[in-house]
Amino acid sequence: MNRRIVFILVALAVIIPMLLPVSLPVSVSEPTQQLYDYITALPAGSTIMLAFDYGPASLAELNPMARAVLRQCFDRDVRVIGFTLAADGTTLASTIMREVAEEKGAVDGEDYVFLGFRPGGTQVMLGMGNSISSVFETDYSGNTTTEIPMMKEITSYDEIALLIDLASGSTTELWIIYTNVRYDLQIAAGVTGVIISQMYPYLQTGQLVGLIPGILGAAQYERLIDVPAKGMLWINIESFVHLLIVLLVVIGNIIFFNQRRREE
Amino acid sequence: MKRQVPLILCFAFGIVMILTQFSPHSFSQGIYEEVISWTLIISPFALVLATATLIQTHVARIQRRTDHWQYSFVVFAGLITMVVIGVPFGPQHQAFEWLYTNIQVPMDATMFSLLAFFIASAAFRAFRARTFEASLLLITALIVMMGNVPVGDLIWNTVLGWLPLEDGASKARQWILDNPNLSARRGIILGVSLGIISQSIRIILGIERSYLGGGD
Repeated sequence: MNRRIVFILVALAVIIPMLLPVSLPVSVSEPTQQLYDYITALPAGSTIMLAFDYGPASLAELNPMARAVLRQCFDRDVRVIGFTLAADGTTLASTIMREVAEEKGAVDGEDYVFLGFRPGGTQVMLGMGNSISSVFETDYSGNTTTEIPMMKEITSYDEIALLIDLASGSTTELWIIYTNVRYDLQIAAGVTGVIISQMYPYLQTGQLVGLIPGILGAAQYERLIDVPAKGMLWINIESFVHLLIVLLVVIGNIIFFNQRRREE
Repeated sequence: MKRQVPLILCFAFGIVMILTQFSPHSFSQGIYEEVISWTLIISPFALVLATATLIQTHVARIQRRTDHWQYSFVVFAGLITMVVIGVPFGPQHQAFEWLYTNIQVPMDATMFSLLAFFIASAAFRAFRARTFEASLLLITALIVMMGNVPVGDLIWNTVLGWLPLEDGASKARQWILDNPNLSARRGIILGVSLGIISQSIRIILGIERSYLGGGD
């Protein structure tokens, strides 16, 4: 089969379910449920950190997760400190936080704050363990961090109930190594499909309190908070693409075995 | 001198930072916090270095008229536009956000989305059950793929609804991730960690010097 035909089939598998939306039942996996339960159990007024460690290339999978987690936090009066270690994720993260905050009536500086981007990766992780304001002297809007109302009583990881790393790379492992081990910071992650398998050893050891696995996890989280959005839409589309790939692999193997039989 | 000073600095800081991990004394922790704040100051220089290297590389491409050298002008156009808007007005300026949302986001997302097409084509042409190991890999991949989307459970419950196991596709996928995958990953993590420790010791002791450049 010509590769162009394969490309057309993939395009159709994406476009048709988008035009004719179908709703497939999504069952919630244990790691997603664990994160949802953890946030639900936090007392009102707790603070979590949300690290937007991804850029536009991975937004399809990670933006729905970010929105779902933020909705749950604002609904439960859990305050959120957002920031990013990815330079190209700054505007993306700021927009998501602002939009969800407007939707839920959360107030900038009181219910949430977006600190922006700092270069350095692991140095930023370690630095915030000593003092958050020494790493982020101002927030994204230029306000002095120590003068932001919700940041007055938050100095380091000691006052943080959970850090959720939304990642498209290896940052989650670095957060575990540098902040869970040294500062005993509780960590959860939302990751792209390709790195889900890397996270399971940390789930088993309890170094990750929960995991949102790819777009499926985003759909599961949307189901848990009962706000179906893009995660639900995209997992249905992905269903058709996966089905198509499985069919292509089966057809490819049938052709392969037929050819081999003829050659023999 | 050019090589001895970095080697001495690397040795001294390496040993001191290791020792701070084993001492909760305030003096030791004070040193640790001080050095961390130094590294935070040093980190942004990597961005300056990266920008300088990018400019150098593309200037060289234009001068040498290498393949597709014309695209280097596009790199400079993008770089200059974002800097001219971003530096004086900040990343929250309307024009900066517009360029990011309407140019960078669609381009990045498009590049990543193309993977779906290439993966589908490659899976069709190359994923063959030629050997026992390849068959095992193929079957595992198909189970994980189907378990990763809700249609997998729908097919399972419709076709194999008579079995006592509900949502078998996602449960099979979960078992693969929780058992064979986890065991293999843990082995890899242990191996990599031991490698990092031995490499770090080599760097601190000055045995491994490739980071100094010069092919040593």
